[in-house]
Amino acid sequence: MTTLTVTGPSLPRVIAAEWTKLLGLRSSTIVVVVTAAVSGLVTYLSANASSGDPGFDPLDSLTTGLPVAVIGPLVLGVLVGTGEFSTGMFRSTFAAVPRRLPVLVAQVVVTTALALLAAVLAVAAAVVGILPPASSRGITPDLLSEGTPQSLLGAGGFLVGAALFGLAAGALLRRTLPALLATIVVTLVLPVVLLLASELASDPLAASASNTVPTRTAVVNTIITFTPTGAGSLLTEPSSSGVDGAPNIGALGAALVLAAWVFVPLGAAALRLRRRDLV
Amino acid sequence: MIEAQALTKRYGPTTAVDGLSFTALPGTVTGFLGPNGAGKSTTMRLVLGLERPTSGTVTIGGRRYADLDAPLRTVGAMLDARSVHPGRTAFRHLLALARTHGIPRSRVDEVIGMTGLESVAGRRVKGFSLGMSQRLGIAAALLGDPGTLMLDEPVNGLDPDGVLWVRKLVRDLAAEGRTVFLSSHLMHELALCADRVVIIGRGRLLADASMPEILHQSERAGLVRVRTSDPALLVPALLQLGGDVVAQQDDVLHVRHVSLEDVGVAAGRAGATVLELAAEAGSLEEAYLRLTADSVQYQAGGAR
Repeated sequence: MTTLTVTGPSLPRVIAAEWTKLLGLRSSTIVVVVTAAVSGLVTYLSANASSGDPGFDPLDSLTTGLPVAVIGPLVLGVLVGTGEFSTGMFRSTFAAVPRRLPVLVAQVVVTTALALLAAVLAVAAAVVGILPPASSRGITPDLLSEGTPQSLLGAGGFLVGAALFGLAAGALLRRTLPALLATIVVTLVLPVVLLLASELASDPLAASASNTVPTRTAVVNTIITFTPTGAGSLLTEPSSSGVDGAPNIGALGAALVLAAWVFVPLGAAALRLRRRDLV
Repeated sequence: MIEAQALTKRYGPTTAVDGLSFTALPGTVTGFLGPNGAGKSTTMRLVLGLERPTSGTVTIGGRRYADLDAPLRTVGAMLDARSVHPGRTAFRHLLALARTHGIPRSRVDEVIGMTGLESVAGRRVKGFSLGMSQRLGIAAALLGDPGTLMLDEPVNGLDPDGVLWVRKLVRDLAAEGRTVFLSSHLMHELALCADRVVIIGRGRLLADASMPEILHQSERAGLVRVRTSDPALLVPALLQLGGDVVAQQDDVLHVRHVSLEDVGVAAGRAGATVLELAAEAGSLEEAYLRLTADSVQYQAGGAR
């Protein structure tokens, strides 16, 4: 038998352990690959569909895959967040790290790392996706043109933010299905419902008659701005001045909104983890 | 060494563990017994700091689990064979736990070897039988080469070979001077490997004693069983020796207060033919049933 000189868990060690755990799950690899593939495919289809338009600019389609591709990082985060508690793994994990919080911190670190990889691949796939439609029209997309680098950066940030939002919700709710439902409703269903509400709230005749934005539309649009998806679209469209009637919070404001969607549930999860019994 | 002092855990109005005090000593296998719902698992979770006591303390070598510098080096625990993510391989699971303490990969291979998991270490835990999961749980407990081991139902789901292996393992670990604390429902198994027994019922301590002391509590302890074709000759001889004789079916007599040897000698003198003569050892099962008779929460056969 080896004589072991063993010292306790430090944050770098817990991060190494969480990384080992993350890469030990087949789902992690699948999520990264599928996210990139979906991003490339949807972007290609969207660019291809509009390539017949007279004013076709392939760069306009660059972030069209994002609303679908974002499901990948969300699932990744949720699986990391709930993986301990949806199985009995938490007993092993927290017996090894009785101070508990380093585990959550390490999960944030490793999820960020893997989501970053997924985001880079997804953005690269989106760029590849616009190339065939662009070349069909004889256009060479200039990725360094006004606003494009910021837009790509914003898309990456949105994907990483979504993964952390999934992690926070997962760590708080501890059960996979409710956490998946909650995060998908907030990021995908809610924006659509709000858009519909905005459409219904506005009277098309009145709107065309004057330049003022109706109050109800302004309220709905303000809410949209403060959802993760609303903030995400602000990140990917750095030149936009926000939606009608909503305060223009800019890219920095949008990043802060996204951060709040991560850190509020994460803080609650940390509190629950620290204070309560693990049964 | 595990030391519980007035350990109490309440969940709202329910008291799961009620003023429990006991000690599990180094170099000793301590068996932990109690009916379902007696608070065994809660007690073990309290030891590991997964739950916090409502009052009282439980320490390992004088320190609370949460205050240990290197928990896996101090205590190796298997609470539930399903304390694993089913999507990971056995090797990955152990490697991740090892990484938290900087335990080298060679030690992971070593515990895989010790628990006989070599052939399945690369497989996902999802497909494991209960016996294999149990071995993986024991491997995880051994990972940090800890001075204290705490195993909840370690032989559950193991085949006879596995049961034998666990028995030898816990004996060996105790012989190396480690503290071994294990729960089991298999009385026979526990009687074979435990030096001391802690019995609880409804969260309270019922007994904390050495195995011989516990066995002494059994009804059959000290009983001599003799089968004879001539009870009419033997019974008066035994009564004369101050024995307490109860006739059973099939010419069997249960004799108390007379030693095995004296029964044999008496039979010879009386000219009674002895067909069978045996000392009944006390059984842990019987002692346990007597001690816990009042504290069984879920009794079969009718509402209570």
